[in-house]
Amino acid sequence: MGSSPLPVTRTRIARLAAASALLLLTGCAKEGISPQGQEVHRLFVIIMILAAPVFLGVEAVLIWCIVRYRKRDDDPAPQTVGGSRSLVVFFAIPAVIIAVLFPFGEATLMNIERRETPQVQIKVEGFQWEWTFLYLNEGLFVAGKTLVRPAVMVLPVDEPVQIQLVSRDVIHSFFVPDLLFKRDAIPGRTTTFTFTPTQLGTFHGQCAEFCGLWHSRMTFDVKVVAPLDYQAWIKQQRKKAQGITCEPQGTTLSLIAHNISWNQFCLAVPANTPFTVDITNQDVGIQHNFSIYDSFFEKKKYFTSPRITGPDSETLNANPLPPGHYYFQCDVHGPAMSGAFIVK
Amino acid sequence: MAVTQAPTRELTPEPRGRLLVWLTTTDHKKIGILYLVNSFSFFTVGGIFALLMRTELARPGQQLIGAHAYNELFTIHGTLMIFLVIFPILAGLGNYFVPLQIGALDMAFPRINALSFWLLPVGGLTILSGFLAKGGAAACGWTCYAPLNEQLGTGVDLWLAGLILVGTASILGAINFIVTILRMRAPGMTMMRLPVFVWGILATSLLVILATPVFTAGLIMLFADRRLGTSFFDPAHGGVALLWQNVFWFFGHPEVYMLILGAWGVVTEILSVFSGRPIFSYRGVVLSFLMITALSFTVWAHHMFATGAVELPFFSITTELISIPTGVLFFVWLGTLWKGKLRFEVPMLFALGFIALFLIGGIDGVWAASPAMDFAIHDTYWVVAHLHYVLFGGTLFGIMAGMYYWFPKMSGRMLSRKLGQWHFWLQFIGFNVTFFPMHILGLRGMPRRIADYAPDRGWSFLNLVSTIGAFLIAISLLIFFANVLTTLRKPRSAPADPWRANTLEWATSSPPPPHNFDALPAIHSGRPVYDARVAEAGPTDRGSR
Repeated sequence: MGSSPLPVTRTRIARLAAASALLLLTGCAKEGISPQGQEVHRLFVIIMILAAPVFLGVEAVLIWCIVRYRKRDDDPAPQTVGGSRSLVVFFAIPAVIIAVLFPFGEATLMNIERRETPQVQIKVEGFQWEWTFLYLNEGLFVAGKTLVRPAVMVLPVDEPVQIQLVSRDVIHSFFVPDLLFKRDAIPGRTTTFTFTPTQLGTFHGQCAEFCGLWHSRMTFDVKVVAPLDYQAWIKQQRKKAQGITCEPQGTTLSLIAHNISWNQFCLAVPANTPFTVDITNQDVGIQHNFSIYDSFFEKKKYFTSPRITGPDSETLNANPLPPGHYYFQCDVHGPAMSGAFIVK
Repeated sequence: MAVTQAPTRELTPEPRGRLLVWLTTTDHKKIGILYLVNSFSFFTVGGIFALLMRTELARPGQQLIGAHAYNELFTIHGTLMIFLVIFPILAGLGNYFVPLQIGALDMAFPRINALSFWLLPVGGLTILSGFLAKGGAAACGWTCYAPLNEQLGTGVDLWLAGLILVGTASILGAINFIVTILRMRAPGMTMMRLPVFVWGILATSLLVILATPVFTAGLIMLFADRRLGTSFFDPAHGGVALLWQNVFWFFGHPEVYMLILGAWGVVTEILSVFSGRPIFSYRGVVLSFLMITALSFTVWAHHMFATGAVELPFFSITTELISIPTGVLFFVWLGTLWKGKLRFEVPMLFALGFIALFLIGGIDGVWAASPAMDFAIHDTYWVVAHLHYVLFGGTLFGIMAGMYYWFPKMSGRMLSRKLGQWHFWLQFIGFNVTFFPMHILGLRGMPRRIADYAPDRGWSFLNLVSTIGAFLIAISLLIFFANVLTTLRKPRSAPADPWRANTLEWATSSPPPPHNFDALPAIHSGRPVYDARVAEAGPTDRGSR
């Protein structure tokens, strides 16, 4: 018959091209900066090993048919069809592949979901459109500023980290490609997971669930540092938080919300005196409010205003407060829009 | 040769004016063509949106369109392509060819048929009218997750209204198809002799009547949340955000199969015709279609692995089980080609391209089916690659195969083979250049639905490649449209059966008369036209097999 060496060569070229495409895919995959991420990478490679022969086999047979069975004469093609036996084989082959594949996936899932005793506990809040990381044991937080600067999560290397993920508004997704992991931040739910970064460096993260206008800018960084550097960073952050202070200037406070941030980080009023707050919201279509708490843990609430949809402004009267160091925030956006509230 | 005389129907006199004929027609063939014209119009709009997005993403930084416009574009692109392009093209081909393939005069309910078509352009334009609304069109993705969908402006209400119309249209259409296929088959056309395309449409229609009402209910609930003060999906007022995802995907995953079963039918038939072989296992195809129809209702939460709120192993295994009947289809396709006499006419090129590409779309879904792996690639460009390999590399290549295959039947004219070949190769190459790199972008962590990205992420080069591919696709489609438009100016010269095909639509003239058949051939197998051809050639001509 007319089967020249041509088909073989073509098949070989096609196989080579396909194999290199697969290699390319494997080479591009991130290998993970945590044991959990490395597990997932291993699963990626295992599925590749199972999938590659299927891909190459089907494409090879397809190309073979195209080359070998081109119509060359007017003889009718054989009118044979497959019987029940071939049908059983057709069902059996993919079933076997699935039976091999599924346990690998489950094993990886169990491994990455294994809980470790966390050394660092961080409550991660997503909001439109940035992140706040609250270090629960250290009593401090870092927040990103929408369109201006992404939040940075500093982590000590080789220590298990527990993330408690929440959202203040719509669904977001906490995604660090180098961890090979993401988890949705869902309003009304707290989702917890752990991982252990084992590699020093700064790794990009980003919201992975579409969340509105500036979804594409909802980025953050994970900075993995040596334990000593981590301690130093904690100390510095604490000092920075405590260092904020200001003096009362009368009993009228005026605050402007613009681009999802306040124009002031410190407010002060005289002790045991009623005061008024003027709030101007310049963010079109975005809600803000103003609340006073004991601290960002929100254990005790002293004052709260209704939500104001911008552009709008409102003047509010507040009851006197005893002297002390308080905390204010916009409840829509949380600590990312907060500051010190000092009563003297 | 036994001939069954088709009952003649008294034809109403032609109303004045050609436009009026098209506006008032209840002829399934005319309605089928209306479906195609409507769908390819929306396809052009959705395609231009895609080009705008690809142009914006070609380089990091914002060049062409702002974030809000970008968000509108990908939302409406997805919505149009799924609800107003792919599904209605298959429904349009179904409208034209299901009655012909089963030897019927028309659909069971011709007037409902007209209604279910006319709801489509109204629904589609309602969705598009969002661009004129305050705050713009819906900008929440075609999945429009809660509670973001409670925040946005009037565009979302128009999106909801449009989809309710389109959903209603498809439910009406599905009932019509089911009744037609079950009740209107010609004598001798048993269920197990139905062409596989008809099985594809039947399975699709079953999915529609089981899944689409759930979605329509969800859309109405969302509308009530937004405008009537209920709170099904808004957690700020006691609702549950994930309820929307469960409702949406309970419909949304069967939807994927609504978008491809018909194309599988087209491709299976074309492979058989152009390899001169019967379908290698007809029973295997029917069984696979029905298994997939059933299984598709058990997999929806694989879209929700990353929520951490679904039963992972269950939805993982059901998802992986779907690859079993899908795998059977591949075996059947290759078995049909094996030892065939392959004729590389344009429909066959697209059918072969379909196998090559849909295979990739099937396999890259396997990674996403494993929850641990899905945590890494969910909502990244890996998924964008996967869904386009299924719906474009798969369904749209299947649709194009069907368009070239059936164009002579619908118009009486053969499309240019040369232009068809150009169209195929450019689309095949352009498709891979556009979408294959997206796998790598996904592995490198590029999330989908982002209007912009920073230059330091290592995504720039592949995005540029992808954009170049998108323009190749655009050129290929321009060639297709040019081919169609120039061919329509030529005289009608196509024979009744230009491809030496198997199924009943080729037993009547091209295009068929209003009553479809002057006479039906006897139906003794799934390939009545093949049987008639063999009988005509005489037993001596049959070869020794």
